[in-house]
Amino acid sequence: MSTSVAPQESVLSPKFYEAMKALEPQYPRKTALILPALHQAQSEFGWLPKEALEAVAQYIGVHPAQIREVASFYTMFNLKPVGKTHLKICTNVACVLRGADDLVSFCEKKLGIACGETTPDGKFTLSEEECLGACGTAPAMMANDDYIENLDIPKLNDFLERSQHER
Amino acid sequence: MPKCTIDGKEVEFKAGENLIAVAKKVGIDIPVFCYHPGLSVVAQCRMCLVEVEKMPKLQTACSTPATDGMVVKTQSAAVKSARESTMEFLLVNHPLDCPICDKSGECDLQDNSFSHGKSTFRSHEERRTYVDVDMGPVIEKSMNRCIHCTRCIRFGDEIAGIREMVAIQRGNNTDITTIDGLPLQTEYAGNYSDICPTGSLTLKDFRFKKRAWFLKKVPSVCTGCSRGCNTELQYENTTVHRTVPRFNADVNQYWMCDEGRFLFRDTQSKDRVVEPRLGAVPATWDQAVESARQIIATAKSVVVGLGSDLSLEELALGQTFAEELKKAGVAVTLGSLTGAVITTEQDQPLDALLRRADKTGNLKGAENLGLKPISEQQSAKAEVLIAVTGGRVRVPASNGRTVAIGVFRAQDTEKFSVTLPLAAFTEKDGTYVNFQGKAQKARRAVVPAGKSKMLGEVVMVLKNVQIAEKVGA
Amino acid sequence: MSAEVQTLFIQHFGKDSNRTLSYYQSQQSGYVAAKTVVTTMTPDQVIEEVKKSNLRGRGGAGFPTGMKWSFIPKGGDKPKYLVCNADESEPGTFKDRDLIRYTPHGLIEGMIIGAYAIGCKHAYIYIRGEYTREARLLNEAIQEAKSAGFLGEKIFGTDFSLNITVHRGAGAYICGEETGLLNSLEGKRGEPRVKPPFPAISGAFGCPTAVNNVESLASIPHIIRLGGEAYSKLGAVEKSGGTRIISLSGQVKRPGLYEIQAGSKTLRQIIYDLGGGMKKEKKLKAVIPGGSSAPVLTADEIDVIYDIEPLMKIGTMMGSAAIMVVSESVDLPKLLWRITKFYAHESCGQCTPCREGCHWMESILHRICHGQGREDDLDTLTSLAGNIGGKTLCALGDAAAGPVASFIKKFRPEFEAKITPVVRGQKRYA
Repeated sequence: MSTSVAPQESVLSPKFYEAMKALEPQYPRKTALILPALHQAQSEFGWLPKEALEAVAQYIGVHPAQIREVASFYTMFNLKPVGKTHLKICTNVACVLRGADDLVSFCEKKLGIACGETTPDGKFTLSEEECLGACGTAPAMMANDDYIENLDIPKLNDFLERSQHER
Repeated sequence: MPKCTIDGKEVEFKAGENLIAVAKKVGIDIPVFCYHPGLSVVAQCRMCLVEVEKMPKLQTACSTPATDGMVVKTQSAAVKSARESTMEFLLVNHPLDCPICDKSGECDLQDNSFSHGKSTFRSHEERRTYVDVDMGPVIEKSMNRCIHCTRCIRFGDEIAGIREMVAIQRGNNTDITTIDGLPLQTEYAGNYSDICPTGSLTLKDFRFKKRAWFLKKVPSVCTGCSRGCNTELQYENTTVHRTVPRFNADVNQYWMCDEGRFLFRDTQSKDRVVEPRLGAVPATWDQAVESARQIIATAKSVVVGLGSDLSLEELALGQTFAEELKKAGVAVTLGSLTGAVITTEQDQPLDALLRRADKTGNLKGAENLGLKPISEQQSAKAEVLIAVTGGRVRVPASNGRTVAIGVFRAQDTEKFSVTLPLAAFTEKDGTYVNFQGKAQKARRAVVPAGKSKMLGEVVMVLKNVQIAEKVGA
Repeated sequence: MSAEVQTLFIQHFGKDSNRTLSYYQSQQSGYVAAKTVVTTMTPDQVIEEVKKSNLRGRGGAGFPTGMKWSFIPKGGDKPKYLVCNADESEPGTFKDRDLIRYTPHGLIEGMIIGAYAIGCKHAYIYIRGEYTREARLLNEAIQEAKSAGFLGEKIFGTDFSLNITVHRGAGAYICGEETGLLNSLEGKRGEPRVKPPFPAISGAFGCPTAVNNVESLASIPHIIRLGGEAYSKLGAVEKSGGTRIISLSGQVKRPGLYEIQAGSKTLRQIIYDLGGGMKKEKKLKAVIPGGSSAPVLTADEIDVIYDIEPLMKIGTMMGSAAIMVVSESVDLPKLLWRITKFYAHESCGQCTPCREGCHWMESILHRICHGQGREDDLDTLTSLAGNIGGKTLCALGDAAAGPVASFIKKFRPEFEAKITPVVRGQKRYA
């Protein structure tokens, strides 16, 4: 029953369909693939455009509303485009106790954007994030999928400089 | 049978029954929002919290099955305070637009607030607001009024079979909606409004038409298909304003389709013929009856076709009328006028819920009375066709003359010699036999529109004329 | 850490090379316990041993693990599932991340034993979405274990088979709640379910399911290796067996993970002996003792034995054993606002008191912290916390209410100082 090849008109790559096919036998229901499918789709675009959500809905075999409902529940699924580097600074208790607020202000000032915004050149999106589970090495942040821990302003500044000059 | 005690009253129950249903048996109403007996239990609104002995926390009555010997209190101080606090939480973000809200007067939020809420308001915060999307022709959405009970989501998913209403975002920002302004696809959209406990989902058709408390209500049966959904006609004076489903466990549960819900609008159409006609020209009842009588009296063969959209009483009356024509020496063919489906065997379900292929309300009843479908040939050949309909069947073309008695549109009348307008289903009492063979009673809501008459009256005037002539002769 | 303290995990933390199968087998007698279980014990014997160990769930609720497994019905047509809760999302908690990073095979072995005990053939590890790297490490370890024959078909030459799938979350605290987690695993919104039915009867995909925390499962091989009784005796208090990994964070000199024998230390000892005391020698003001949902303690309340019952006795909880230390320099109303904002943000929005109440409390605290507090605010907050606590569908409501009630009760003057009294009748807002 499974779709082994990508439908011609799909915005998702054949890689998506291959990855899903490999996962299918691991779950008793196809709907259980919704989260893996959204992760995979997001890895192709950096975010989840409407067409991608619809392609996922079609692949899973559910109404597009059901995919939107799930995608919008989880903060890691970006329903709007994000910058090349998505900075997610933890501002939960343990990080705030060790100076996370200053890191946020520093970033806002340096990048010239507020939390939740993307720089005009599309290089950075800045977000405040809830607890990342790195409280022992607080303050911490994520840059896309990577953790950066034991942060302070010089370390953050270095990172921003380096990312700024990448490509 | 096992027993439990609710507010000191002993109640017997069946295993698996929840406390709301059990309490109802002894006249105790536990307030609810998210709970609906036709939908799955989610215990989200927390309005039905009750005290159960030996349990440390208050329990949601909807999700708690009664057990033998259970002792429940629904009026304790803890329960009352929990209800007060739930009401307070629900009203923190609910707009005070009851004066212009269509739900006002029949709103669970209003009623529960009246019975269980506090008279003071502590919030100083700004209310949450949403931008609404259009949801198609049936439902108007006012998300600001939503209390997130998710009945609509569950109705779509579990009953209508389409998950088009969903919760987007989460927490305080949760929006219960369709996506991208897609119109509702289900044929059962009206139910979204019925089950909404506030004015969040209202009927576009009913919007700003009438305050709920002015509506009088009468039990009826939908004649839109052979399902025979039990309904309630809601009207004021001479106007029906709304149809809502009425619970029947065996026929339609709590639901009805949109076609049936808005069927009464056909009876209010400007196009409906509500005065007698000769051809397409309006006439008086005297002129029209005289003309019909003459057409019938001079004919040697008459075909009488009775629509399967008529009530059982009308069908029986039509049968007697036809029998009497025979006695007068006329060859009469009697049969049933039907829509696309002409026998009950052809009558199939159109979906998994309610809708059926036979779009008339009494095909089974007509069959029970021994009526057979009239063939195209029979009607085409007839010298005179007397067609009696309730407005849901097609009158077949005839090469002879047609005396049409029933509910018609103006354009139908052009091919008829005489048209005698009948009361529509909202305007008469009657019994209808649904596809399951259940005879169900529909009550009249309003007086017949314009100059239309009951079939009994029409038959009487037709017969009176004949009798008078015979006596005179 | 002093030499006589027996620890099970922490000595293996910190070095990347420790996560390999070869290290696990050579240094931690890896997979010996699983082999013993699968080849010589019955499922009931395993459950009995775990019951004897007094292992209490390490995720926060502290429910005895052996008991949880015993609730899974025996036999039946439906498959049974073991799901590892690696959602680690209670603020302050970071132990499971290191367990996965440095002893992934310990977790896998624990899952083999758990799956054997409840009759599960396919197990899932639900890991929080942010732990991208950890999910990858787990998948690598699973592959290693598979190649070595510890996972897959006919394990140790017996009829027992097990596969493990790593399922990533995507950013929702509520998926740490076991039924929210199961909904998320099934591809739905991570909204907690009404209980009953409990997961042991109807869990993942409507089948009997046991959901266990990473640390709980990783402790299982040790229980088998040491014997339930010996493991239990590692605990210094009667009801809690084994060791506890403590996540110590905030304003101490040495934040990080510490492992203690359950109930062997007071909160003061943990903060001052293990954590090295307060950063910059500031004065201790408050301690959040069990993840951010635990009611706060004042500096005078820390001579309490750090374990489930003693903490419960003084009105707070041990939760996931995450201690956050707060010094005199911290603005507590602002900290409480931060905590409440988190719960309001993470509320799934299903049930009324949590959806409306958390946001309401957050709005009030926001006002207080921004100079717009009102005289009735503190009473309203306390009353709201009371109206949320115990009345919600899942424990998130309690998690949000506990901090609000306790902060205001114990540090009320700090809040009052932020609220400028107004003359009655005077309009406050322009």
